[in-house]
Amino acid sequence: MKLPKYINTTISRLSILLIIVYLNSSFMYGQDSMEDASITVTFSEEDGVKTLIAAATDQEGLPIEDLELYFYVKRTFSLLPIGDPFNSTDENGIIEMEFANDLPGDTEGNLEIVIKLFESDLYNDMTVEVTKDWGIPIIIEDPKSEKRSLWSAAANAPLTLIVLITSMIAAVWYIICYIIFTLFKISRIKD
Amino acid sequence: MKKDKLTQEFKTERERKVLGHLVFTSPKYKLWVAFLILIIIFGMFGYYRQLRYGLEVTAMRDYTSWGIYISNFVFFVAISLVGSLISSILKLNKNDWARPLTRISEMIAVAAIICAAVIIIVDMGRPDRFFFVITHLRIQSPIIWDVIIISTYLTISLLLLFISLLPDIAVCRDKLTAIPKWKKFMYRVLAINWKNSDVQIAKLRKVTTILAITVLPVAFAIHTVTSWLFATTWRPGWDSTNLGPYFVSGAFMAGAAVIIFAMYLLRIHLNLKEYITNRHFDKMGRLLVLLSLVYLYFNINEYLGPAFKMVGVEGEHIIELFTGKYAPMYWLVQVGGLILPIIFLIFRPFRRPLPIFIISFFVILGAWFKRFLIVIPSLQHPYLPIQGVDESYLHYNPTWEEWAITMASFAWLLLIITVLIKLFPVIPVHDKIENKEEVEPKSLKNEAS
Repeated sequence: MKLPKYINTTISRLSILLIIVYLNSSFMYGQDSMEDASITVTFSEEDGVKTLIAAATDQEGLPIEDLELYFYVKRTFSLLPIGDPFNSTDENGIIEMEFANDLPGDTEGNLEIVIKLFESDLYNDMTVEVTKDWGIPIIIEDPKSEKRSLWSAAANAPLTLIVLITSMIAAVWYIICYIIFTLFKISRIKD
Repeated sequence: MKKDKLTQEFKTERERKVLGHLVFTSPKYKLWVAFLILIIIFGMFGYYRQLRYGLEVTAMRDYTSWGIYISNFVFFVAISLVGSLISSILKLNKNDWARPLTRISEMIAVAAIICAAVIIIVDMGRPDRFFFVITHLRIQSPIIWDVIIISTYLTISLLLLFISLLPDIAVCRDKLTAIPKWKKFMYRVLAINWKNSDVQIAKLRKVTTILAITVLPVAFAIHTVTSWLFATTWRPGWDSTNLGPYFVSGAFMAGAAVIIFAMYLLRIHLNLKEYITNRHFDKMGRLLVLLSLVYLYFNINEYLGPAFKMVGVEGEHIIELFTGKYAPMYWLVQVGGLILPIIFLIFRPFRRPLPIFIISFFVILGAWFKRFLIVIPSLQHPYLPIQGVDESYLHYNPTWEEWAITMASFAWLLLIITVLIKLFPVIPVHDKIENKEEVEPKSLKNEAS
């Protein structure tokens, strides 16, 4: 079957267009293909100054320069940003950050440090979590040893308040009971 | 036929006057009860909708979380103080003229405190959880103090009513014959074997005095604690040390007005002109002036300080009351419900039954709206505003369900009083005990021997 000439031309033109689009896209994606970076975290402490060192390397183990990393510490409801707002790796792929001394940790002083890499042109987003005992250990008070106060739990009401209210209630209800008892006695009088 | 038979039973005209209404039921009474029940049914429908759909059917939102239910509650607690005013303050001060008013004041007190307790439960979104308040009791909370004091005051009010009624119940038991069996049974049980013996009288006299003294601090406590529900909450208009005496004095004023109102209606409908005389209205009028002046004094204290300083939200609150959205209501309440009644009642002609009845009606109306002004505008000015508030939070216009329920609570109050009046003598019949108090101890001894 012989197709008309104009159809042939259209098909061949469309084929060429599709090939160009395909090649172009594969070229572009190939150019931009993202790779995973690798981030290692080390800690150093000298004369009470705590320093967190993050080193970024690519798949071949070469340091990545000018890579922006974000540092956080996990808190109860969200991540607390720490250090400078923007931190970029130097030519050795390293960021050194002085670590705060006053962050409350868990009962053992452990902090969960989160390092994030995101919105990089060359590397995939990633999150690294490390635990380090650089926090101040918190002491969870035994609820039973909670101080007596107006704002504490029911069991720890101030003693003066309990004594005061109880004695007032007792005084009034003693009188009420006495009156009811007297009424009972009145009902038993045989005259 | 029946009526003739009964008239013979009353030995004296006095007996017929004070006991007659317990035996005869007029069509007017039936109509009145039917009217109250109708309002209650309508209110019950509103409450059914509130239970079914939740507090969303009310206009209460995150800002105004206490609406007319709570202002109504404060009003009921206020008028419940009337029992202690008449039965304790006036009695202990030997104001014998107030004796015929004791019974009705005690009845009003009982009815009001019952309605106050009920309206609190109505205000709860989950009334089924009411008992958690008891089981998870936290003594530090002023709300718990209020629960404790209300139940205590209710008990004392019931006792106060019962003790003063006891000899009269015995009179009903002995003298009323043409009444249904259940009524006879009720009088017999409630009369707890009262025989009017000297020993019984002596004992009853003793407990009456004890109770008259006890009720006073409890009455002060109930309204002071109610004021603390507000004073312990940090809101403009409530953050005041003046709130306790301000509430208590306002309560006594409202209570006195309620008594005058009730006196007039009883006098007309039960034909008690001989017992509730012009002198009573005159005396109550003077008392109302005194109580209103005390309340006026606390009102000046309450508003002058913040109005002079005009600090922040507190200032906004004052502006809203004086010249803003609530100004018409505020000035109507202060002038129409407080200042004008004082001025009018200073003059004797206005202390005659009808004028004082009308004036006390305005005092009561003012007292109710005053509670509205205490509760609602304060809530619309929180110290910590919420971001991006919904438009509905900024206003409070009670819905028909809220009005229906509030009206029903008033109908309940009136129904309880009406039923109590129907069941028990409203004018103390047997005042032998009271008479004995006037007798010198010596002659009392002689009489006993």
